[in-house]
Amino acid sequence: MKNKFHLIIAISILSVFPLSSIAGATIAIQKCMLCHGKPGFKKVEETGKVKELYVNLSTIEKSVHKKKTCTDCHADVVEIPHKQIPQKVKCIRCHFKGNPDGAPQSDKYLEYQESIHGRAVKSGNRKAPICQDCHGNHDSKHTKDVLSKVHKSNVAKTCGGCHIDIYAQYITSIHGKALLLEHRIEAPNCTDCHGEHKILEHTDPKSMVNPVNIVKTCSHCHNSVEIVGKYGIETSQVSTYEHSFHGIAVKFGSKTVANCASCHGKHNIAPSEDPSSPVNIKNIPSTCGQPNCHPGANINYAKGKMHVNPKSKQSGIIYYVAFFFKYLTLLTIIALIAHIILDLNRRSKEWREQKKKI
Amino acid sequence: MAGTEEENIKKESALAVEAGRNELIAEQLKNDVISEIQAKLKKSKTEIPAETKEKILQSTVNRLNQILPRKIGRLKQELVDEAIRAAAKSQKEIAEIAKKEEKTAEETFLRFNIHFRIQHMMLFSSVILLILTGLPLKFPAFSPFAFLVDLFGGIESSRFFHRFAAVILILFMVYHTLYTILHRDGRRDFLLLLPMPKDIKDVIWNLKYFFGLSDDRPKFGRFSYVEKFDYWAVYWGCVIMIGSGALLWFQDISLMFLPKFALDASKEAHSDEAVLATLAIVIWHFYNVHFNPDKFPGSLLWLHGRIPKDEMMEEHPLEYAELMKQKENQHQVEKSNDTENT
Repeated sequence: MKNKFHLIIAISILSVFPLSSIAGATIAIQKCMLCHGKPGFKKVEETGKVKELYVNLSTIEKSVHKKKTCTDCHADVVEIPHKQIPQKVKCIRCHFKGNPDGAPQSDKYLEYQESIHGRAVKSGNRKAPICQDCHGNHDSKHTKDVLSKVHKSNVAKTCGGCHIDIYAQYITSIHGKALLLEHRIEAPNCTDCHGEHKILEHTDPKSMVNPVNIVKTCSHCHNSVEIVGKYGIETSQVSTYEHSFHGIAVKFGSKTVANCASCHGKHNIAPSEDPSSPVNIKNIPSTCGQPNCHPGANINYAKGKMHVNPKSKQSGIIYYVAFFFKYLTLLTIIALIAHIILDLNRRSKEWREQKKKI
Repeated sequence: MAGTEEENIKKESALAVEAGRNELIAEQLKNDVISEIQAKLKKSKTEIPAETKEKILQSTVNRLNQILPRKIGRLKQELVDEAIRAAAKSQKEIAEIAKKEEKTAEETFLRFNIHFRIQHMMLFSSVILLILTGLPLKFPAFSPFAFLVDLFGGIESSRFFHRFAAVILILFMVYHTLYTILHRDGRRDFLLLLPMPKDIKDVIWNLKYFFGLSDDRPKFGRFSYVEKFDYWAVYWGCVIMIGSGALLWFQDISLMFLPKFALDASKEAHSDEAVLATLAIVIWHFYNVHFNPDKFPGSLLWLHGRIPKDEMMEEHPLEYAELMKQKENQHQVEKSNDTENT
C-alpha cells in the first residue's frame, strides 16, 4: 500500500513536470552516440574487468524502446560528458499500473519485490537480478518475440546465465529437450514451475515447488488431456498418485512423504525408459531406498506398476481384487438393505393391524 | 410356613400365661403397694387407730387380689399380640423380597458371559477407532475427512491411532480364538454359530413372513441367521483386514519377500473390505440392534449380557424351550436325589 501511495504521488508530480524538464533538456541520441556509438568503446575497471560501453544503435531500434531516447531511461545523465557513472536503470519509472507513458500496464514489479530476487536486491546483493537482467536492456523485446530473452524458448538460457549448473541439467531433461530441441511450446521452462516474477525459495510454503504445492504445479500439465494428452502422455498419473499412500499423506499435510520430484527428479527429469532416470526400473531400488524413505529397498519395489489404477485392467491382480470387492459390496449391501426394508414393511403392517383392532 | 410359626408363638405365650408368672408378678406388685400404703400411714400427722390401719390394708389387699391377675393377664396378652403382629409383618416383607428376587432371576437370561462381552467391547472400540482413522485415507477428496484427520492430530498421529486400534483388534482375535478353544461356552457357541441347513430354511420362512405368506416368524435357536451372518462377516473381515494390514504396516519387511503388486493388492483389499465392513456395521448391525423399532435406541445387553424373558421367548424360542427342558430335567434329578437320600 505504501508503495502504491508513493507511486501516486510520483505520478502526479511527473504529470505536472515531465521527466525531460527535470533532466533539464532531452539530450539527443546522437550526442550520446558520439562516444557510445564507437565500436570498442570500453572501460577497464579497478578489478581488471573490462566493461563494454559500446551501444549498437540498431539494437535499440529493434527493441520495444525504439522511440525512447537514452536519457528517458538513464535519467540521471543531465550533461555530456557525464561526470559520474550513471546508476542502474529503474524500469519502475515507467512500468507501473496507471502510467501515462503508454508502457505496459502491470504491477508485476510488486510480485518481483516479494520474490527471492527482489528481496536479495533489497538486502543489498548487487549480483541479484533486476528487471533488465532477465528482460534485456537495450535489446528488450516483447515477450512474444522469439528473440526476446524472456520468450518461452529463451527463458532457460536467460536463467542459466546465473543458474548455470541447473541449466545444464534442464537442457538434458525431457522438458528441456521437448522445448528446446523439439520446439513443443507446451513443454515447461523454468518459469512454468518456479513462477515468473514471484519466484520463491523452495522451502517457502507459498512456493510453487514447495512439497505442499509441487503436486498441483506438476498436475497443471500432467492432469490435462489438452496439454500432455496429445503427446500420448498418461494423464491418470496425478489421480493415481493422489490415491496412493504418498498422495494421501501429502493431502493431509505430510511434508516428508514422497512427492512427484522425490522420485522423478527435479531439473533432470527423464522418461522411465532412459537408463539415467531415477524411475528407470534399474534405479528404482536406489530411488525408493533414499535414506529418509525406504532404506534397503530391493528389486521387489520395481515389480508392478508404480501409479496403480485399480479401475484399469492393466493393473492386473489389483484390478481383479477391486472388481471382486466392488461386486461383493454391492450385492451384500443390496441384500441387507432389501432385508431391512422388507422387515420394516412387515412390522408397519402388523402395527397398523393392531391399531385397527384397538 | 408363616402360619405355623405364628401358632407356635401364640402357644408359647399362652403357656407362659398359664405358668402362673402372672401370680408371681401380682404378688410383687401387691407387696409394693402395701409397703407404700404402710409408709404413707406412718407419715400421716393425725393419729390413726391401729384397727383402722389394719382394715385399710385388708381391704386394699382384697381389692388387689381381685383385679391384679386379670389386669396383668390382659396386659401380657396385649404385649404378646403386638409382638406376634410385628413378627408377622417382618416375615411378610422378607417373603416379598424373596419373591422379587426370584422374579428377576426368572425374567432375564444370561445371553453373553463376561468373556464374550469383553470381546465385543474390544471389537467395537477398536473398529470405531479404525474406521475414524482409516476412512479419510480411502476418500481423501472428501473434505470433511480432513477435519477427522486433524481431530487425531494430523496424519502422523492418526496413523499411530490406527495401528494402536489394530493391536486391540488383533488382541481381540487372539482372545476370541483362545476363548473358542478353551472355554466351554466358547466351544458351544462356536458349534451353534456354524451355518446349518436350518438357516436357509429360516431365510425362506422369514421371506415368506415378510411377504405375508406366513403368519409367524421363523423360530430361532441361540443364534439366528442374522446373528450368524454378523459373526462370520466379522471373521472374514478380521482375516482380510489383519492379514493385509500387517503386510502394509511392515511393508519394508514384506517387500523383502513380496513384489510391490502384492502390496498394492493388499492395499486395495484392505480399503475395499473396510468400506464393506463399515457399511455392513452402519446399515445392518445398527439396524438390528439400534434402529429396529423393537430395539430403538438400543439395549445394555453388551454391558450386562442379560436378556429379558419375553425377548428370549420372542427371538430365541428354541433356545428358551431347550433351557426350560434342561431346568425341568435338573429338577427331576434333584427330586430323585432327595428321595434317594431320605
